[in-house]
Amino acid sequence: MRNKIAPILNLVEFEDKLKPLTNRRPVASLPFACRYRLIDFPFSSLYNAEAESAALFISGSGHSLYDHIRSGSVWGLDSLVGGGVFTHSQVKLKSSRSGDTKHDPFYYEDHYNYVTKSKADYVVMMGSSLLSNIQIKSLMQFHNDKNSEVTVVYKKVLRSELIKDTVHSALILNNENSGAVEAVKDIATMDNGESLYLNMETMIIEKKTFLDYLQKARTDDMDINVDNFIQYTLEMERPIYGYEYTGYLKAIEDIKSYYDANMDMLDEDNFNALFYRADPVRTRSKNSAPTYYGETAVIENAQFANDCEIFGTVKNSLVFRKVTVGENAHIESSIIMQDSVIEEDTYLKHVILDKHVYVKKGARLEGTPDNPIVISKNGVVYAKGEIEKG
Amino acid sequence: MKTETVAMILAGGQGSRLGKLTKQIAKPAVPFGGNYRIIDFALSNCANSGFNDVAVVTQYQPLVLNRHVGNGSSWGLNRHNGGATILQPYSSVDGEKFFKGTAHAVYQNIDYINQKNPEYVVILSGDHIYKMDYEKMLDYHKKQGASLTVGVIPVPWEEASRFGVMNTDKTDRIIEFQEKPENPKSNLASMGIYIFTWARLKQYLSDSQSKSRHMDDFGHDVLPAYLRNSESIFAYSFEGYWKDVGTIESLWSANMEFIDPNHELNIRDRDWRVYSKNPNTTPQFLTETARVENSMITDGCYIAGEVNHSILSHNVKVGKNSVVKDSFIMPNAVIGENVTIEKAIVGEGARIYDDTELIGTEKEIAVVGYGEEVGGYSDEK
Repeated sequence: MRNKIAPILNLVEFEDKLKPLTNRRPVASLPFACRYRLIDFPFSSLYNAEAESAALFISGSGHSLYDHIRSGSVWGLDSLVGGGVFTHSQVKLKSSRSGDTKHDPFYYEDHYNYVTKSKADYVVMMGSSLLSNIQIKSLMQFHNDKNSEVTVVYKKVLRSELIKDTVHSALILNNENSGAVEAVKDIATMDNGESLYLNMETMIIEKKTFLDYLQKARTDDMDINVDNFIQYTLEMERPIYGYEYTGYLKAIEDIKSYYDANMDMLDEDNFNALFYRADPVRTRSKNSAPTYYGETAVIENAQFANDCEIFGTVKNSLVFRKVTVGENAHIESSIIMQDSVIEEDTYLKHVILDKHVYVKKGARLEGTPDNPIVISKNGVVYAKGEIEKG
Repeated sequence: MKTETVAMILAGGQGSRLGKLTKQIAKPAVPFGGNYRIIDFALSNCANSGFNDVAVVTQYQPLVLNRHVGNGSSWGLNRHNGGATILQPYSSVDGEKFFKGTAHAVYQNIDYINQKNPEYVVILSGDHIYKMDYEKMLDYHKKQGASLTVGVIPVPWEEASRFGVMNTDKTDRIIEFQEKPENPKSNLASMGIYIFTWARLKQYLSDSQSKSRHMDDFGHDVLPAYLRNSESIFAYSFEGYWKDVGTIESLWSANMEFIDPNHELNIRDRDWRVYSKNPNTTPQFLTETARVENSMITDGCYIAGEVNHSILSHNVKVGKNSVVKDSFIMPNAVIGENVTIEKAIVGEGARIYDDTELIGTEKEIAVVGYGEEVGGYSDEK
């Protein structure tokens, strides 16, 4: 397939409720399921659609993200012919310096340059906080079959699957069969129990339509995002359709939804839905040794990455790379990120340890499923209960 | 910058004593230790020793090996001018260039070495498990002003007759070479590691062609010629773990030793890492029914049965009520339910169907070949 898409990843995402996990990283680089980061999911969708390049818009410095993406070679984005990961960081900072207007002119120019130079027929917009595994080829086929100009991916969910004050929106469809989009609506205003079409903030757009919108967004000083785009398309009365996604989905908006998404992976159906489908999820794999499980290890329904040494009990938990779990350590319903050390005679339940946390001998931490305890990066947990922040 | 050293890893051997494990792939490409292939140890040693120009010379069944080595990026060897290069036999106006032996393989690729024009050429074999700093050996070679330095390792006297042994004088100069001698005069076994001063070796290899004196093999031809001509040859003694995994039993026992978290190789040492090409795969999933003890398990595995003192390479599946004990399972093997595997090596992509027993002994390890299917419906049953 010839390169036909110019992907734009809007990674300026809502991250306040994910603190302290997002203190020093964007939502897109949140670690997930032992060896992934959230960006791997949209990137793998792009890989499987044979995208050659991608443009990223990031609110902060993006350090952790760049460290993960590097040249983009894992996702086939590093070709010398037409390839490249075009990064645009500090979007918020630049905007704040632009005086009277919301955005500085480069914000629009960057989008314009990327799309016009990429020789693509379509623009694909995506984010990373709605965890899913979307097949862009099927989306494109639907888009063409419908003679659509803009096609938005949605999933039928219950209102209760999203947090109370969610930032996400729902599509209002003309009727489910035609899939024509009539409006967007904030989900936060909707009643519990209602079923809705969650706008997955992933869309495919004809290049010309995108450039027309860009002109308008610049004139009106608007954010370039999926909701504004839908609004614009409806106002212009251009054809816009919804494409139904039926796979695994989780809106990661706060600590609990992040925790739940990870725990979901311990259910084989969810795990298979996300990872064992036709298109694999790709991540930057690091050099590693296999994980060693000692004679005293007791494992029950848990997942691990390579390079760990496990001597204790691990139940219903996810353990990232290079983690050591000592004898008589008990870890249950927890997420342990890479480089953490859990000494012997410890107890952790409903806990999220960020990277490189040290849990000293005799320490106990117990959260609840609704309110897991989070220990931020480089923290130390002592036996008497005091916690040294990293 | 001038190239000082070129490393040539000779990876063309078949390794016929590994039986069906080397039927489709060359010995250096045989999986080891869950996450590696045998050649990773030599390649990682090169990378850790600061060698940038590394050629992997392949011949026998090279497909898997070539894919594995690629451009050497997994070992950080894809830098600037150097990098990993795969050299294969080719045909030219001089006829076909299939390799008749180790030295012949180097001669046939003389164009590659000439292009680099190095001071020294390091000859390595791609089929041993060890960690070694070749730079120290190179320093020794320079200090001695040697034209050849041979890496040797002391072996128990009773085993010396299985190796090529080097008889040295008090200054570690090699004065005699015995190939698999009945009565060894020394217990210093050749590791198949040679550092040559290139200008000298080049002369020997080139002259042999015009004078039709055969210089096909380093041990058999080149070393004796060097000795005869009183070249300065020194032995460099290596101490540490070094294992030839040339037979089924030695491959199995090297893997079993490797499980030990206190193994001398110290695989988790961050300062001397063993690199490999890491596949893109999922986390390890151990279900509620899994029992795992004293074992090494790799990403992509799915385990619902019992694993005891074994190594499972990536993407291995073990079904419910199955037991894997004292065994080495290669990548992508699928083990069904109610299967018992003991003292076995299971090849890449093999399938062991439900209710199968596969039990070997220390003297005769059970082996399942690549992609082989065992059990299930068959006429033989």
